[in-house]
Amino acid sequence: MSEKKRRIFGRLQRTPKEKWKKEEFTELEYEPTPVKDLLTEMKDISELIIDLAYSAVLFDNEEIAEEVKYLDVRMDKLNYDIRMMAMMAARTKDDAEQLAGILQVAEAAETISNAAGDIVNLLSKEEKTGPILPKILKEADEQLFRIKVSSSSKACNHKIGDLKVESETGMRLIAIRREDCWIYNPQSDTDIKAEDWLIARGTDEGFKDLSKFLHGELEVLD
Amino acid sequence: MKKKSVEDIFLEIKDKSELMVDLAYSSLLYDNRTIAEEVYDLEDVVDELYKNLQKQTVENVSKKKLGVTDALTVLRLAEAGENIADAAQEIADVELRDVELHPILKMSLRESDQVFTRVQVVDKSVLAGKTLGEIKLASETGMMVIAMRHDKRWLYGPNKNTKIDPGDILFAKGPEDGEKHLVELASGKSREI
Repeated sequence: MSEKKRRIFGRLQRTPKEKWKKEEFTELEYEPTPVKDLLTEMKDISELIIDLAYSAVLFDNEEIAEEVKYLDVRMDKLNYDIRMMAMMAARTKDDAEQLAGILQVAEAAETISNAAGDIVNLLSKEEKTGPILPKILKEADEQLFRIKVSSSSKACNHKIGDLKVESETGMRLIAIRREDCWIYNPQSDTDIKAEDWLIARGTDEGFKDLSKFLHGELEVLD
Repeated sequence: MKKKSVEDIFLEIKDKSELMVDLAYSSLLYDNRTIAEEVYDLEDVVDELYKNLQKQTVENVSKKKLGVTDALTVLRLAEAGENIADAAQEIADVELRDVELHPILKMSLRESDQVFTRVQVVDKSVLAGKTLGEIKLASETGMMVIAMRHDKRWLYGPNKNTKIDPGDILFAKGPEDGEKHLVELASGKSREI
């Protein structure tokens, strides 16, 4: 139950406007959640947030940067919760030793999210950084791309898994921006809709195929 | 030898640090010390790259090839990559300790969105004897090979010229439907790429 409630991946979600920024400074409320669920989410965020941070910088995009900051704050809260849960679960020295390992992984996940926060902070300096950032990132083999779905594409209103988007093009979908909402780590049963912005990771070749398909120039992917 | 540009060094730090995170989590998932040790080795490589990048950035500034603001941006970006590499090392450190892993650790990694898989390539598989570039594994199945084992030798972050031999074990990550496809290809059940 609690897992369904908490999970933020694979579904449409609206980042609470401004409210989360206050959360950073208010006293954290303790909510009992299984350590397993907390750690899974922390691991998933730690992987997603790196890609989002580099995308924000590559596309010089404030909105993506905001999401990174939101996820970073959420990570702090998860790290706090997992410490509480672990401490309460320790009964013996052996328990404590094993749980220390879990907390070390959690701490590392949080370090990664802080690094992602540092990356997007490069965008918001008063001194305008200029085009050096996109220039550096453009040379990578595996690139980050942003594609807008055209209403003429056959992808509209179909599930990612049915379209075999990831397995046919090799492009990994990181997030979808739909109006003012986000879907992180879209799943195989997530629908693609007209006007969605997809953030994907992959090669130039995969990007060309995928963007033709999403722009309606290609009927099917194969 | 041609000197690597600041941009090239940064991209290497970025690639290596991301590979390290993948390897670190999979070392825990498979309770595999060899992978964890590789993360340690890679951390030394990243440290070296970072030092190089710092030196070269400063040199470029003194030669007036790079502005101060741009130089700081590059350094801060690289620092973030270095921090990610350090975090990966912390994760791998949990595997290398002489404490048995908590069962929850494996369970939560297995529930993650990103599928990690380990497959052995059999003799009759279409993958055997081909390079990763020839079979276009990443673009055909969506699965990215992050490490390979050939007999007792390990290879981390293989590229398109890497050849797959029968008996090799591939460690790959990607979407769920890609995993099935890869397993079928490696086991020789499917010959269709």
